[in-house]
Amino acid sequence: MSLRRLLHERWRSRVTLLASGCLEAAERERVLLHLETCAECRNEHDQLRALVAAVSMDPVRTAEPGVAAQFLAQRVTARLDTVVCGRSRRWGFAAAGLGIGLLVAGLGLRFAAPLAERERLAAVSPAPAPVVSIDDLALRRLERVMAREQAVRYLAQAEDVLVHLKAHARPCPERHGHVELSEEVSRSRELLARRALLLDLEAEALLPARAVLEDVDNVLREVASLASCSGRGELERLRREMDERRLLMKVRLLSQELMS
Amino acid sequence: MCSNAAVEASDRELVERLAGGEREALAPLMQRHYRRVYRIALAYLRNPDDALDVVQETFVKAFQHAHRRNPAAEVLPWLTRIAINQSIDRYRRDRRRQQTLEPLAEGDHDLRLSDGEASPEDQARGQQLRARLDRALRTLPDRQRAVFVLRHYEERSLEEIAQLLGVRLGTVKSSLHRATHELRRRLQGVLA
Repeated sequence: MSLRRLLHERWRSRVTLLASGCLEAAERERVLLHLETCAECRNEHDQLRALVAAVSMDPVRTAEPGVAAQFLAQRVTARLDTVVCGRSRRWGFAAAGLGIGLLVAGLGLRFAAPLAERERLAAVSPAPAPVVSIDDLALRRLERVMAREQAVRYLAQAEDVLVHLKAHARPCPERHGHVELSEEVSRSRELLARRALLLDLEAEALLPARAVLEDVDNVLREVASLASCSGRGELERLRREMDERRLLMKVRLLSQELMS
Repeated sequence: MCSNAAVEASDRELVERLAGGEREALAPLMQRHYRRVYRIALAYLRNPDDALDVVQETFVKAFQHAHRRNPAAEVLPWLTRIAINQSIDRYRRDRRRQQTLEPLAEGDHDLRLSDGEASPEDQARGQQLRARLDRALRTLPDRQRAVFVLRHYEERSLEEIAQLLGVRLGTVKSSLHRATHELRRRLQGVLA
């Protein structure tokens, strides 16, 4: 590398700082003097200033969240509730799990062992076999956990389809101006069929999630009804619908809430 | 200065109340700062839904860690630090997702153009620039992107950025240099 190039490299970082508005007055003067004598740095400085000017026009700087602070505060409070409840619930689930484990072990011992063996055991130890009972509350808790887990799984798979739908638009080789949606269509159909089998929207545990789950169902139904090779307008309409309902955000928030 | 001091004092009071477990202090604190937190997250993540998630998580963390905060420190830099760390975490978690590599769909932002009445040509150019900027920023490594966002969107000084990110001043300078040149390279042809 030539001496001139070496000297130039030393100035480059200072030119960047100048363009970024980060230099103190004295240093700034020095770099400005250098710019007067170095066309390469001057050119670079101009380009960097153009970049900084473009960034200063980026609409993100004045973007509005589109959601009221009050709503977000409620979400934060709800999230804090789930964090606190999650800790105590985990112990509840552990206790329920232990109870179920004991019950299964008890039943297994009772029915799986051969009759003769059981008679022998009875003769050796005439004491009655321990009876493990599991209360209704624990069972209901277990049902709730399972319903939530199914819902989270369903939402994760639905989210994949929706993200795919939003981010990709492969042109259909068969028809000009159309998009290829065969994968999204078949996955939506499959998901809806599985949802009908596994998720009961009337279940108590899913009542707060019902509105979002129904929204997801509706969009998936629309996707499922499309042809494999659909018009771009159809895809844009679905995307707009998802945006208007802020569906992806809702799906993520709901999944987080159900998981916690 | 006086009004700033008054606002800051009030912010501190709110955070002290949070530290005492008073959730009612969240709403006024969020009302005051949620837009700013949102814009930091949006500038970093370039995705409105993800940015809203970050706003939520930032205030959850603020509530959870309020008791550990230095009571003499200013509130806004503290929130900014949480927000940028949350944005980095979020990005790392979602890195594998294909959507982060795709440009945002038009109309995905709820955006208000700052340059008032723009001609159709300017608007089209602005949209093209925004899409390129989204893509270019997404390609920057975590730290370079954080430094660039804090400098050019939050207008923080290099010393403040070093403090916010917990890195040395020299690291901030070199990260800013690399990020700026990478963006210039990627945006060639769009810049005037």
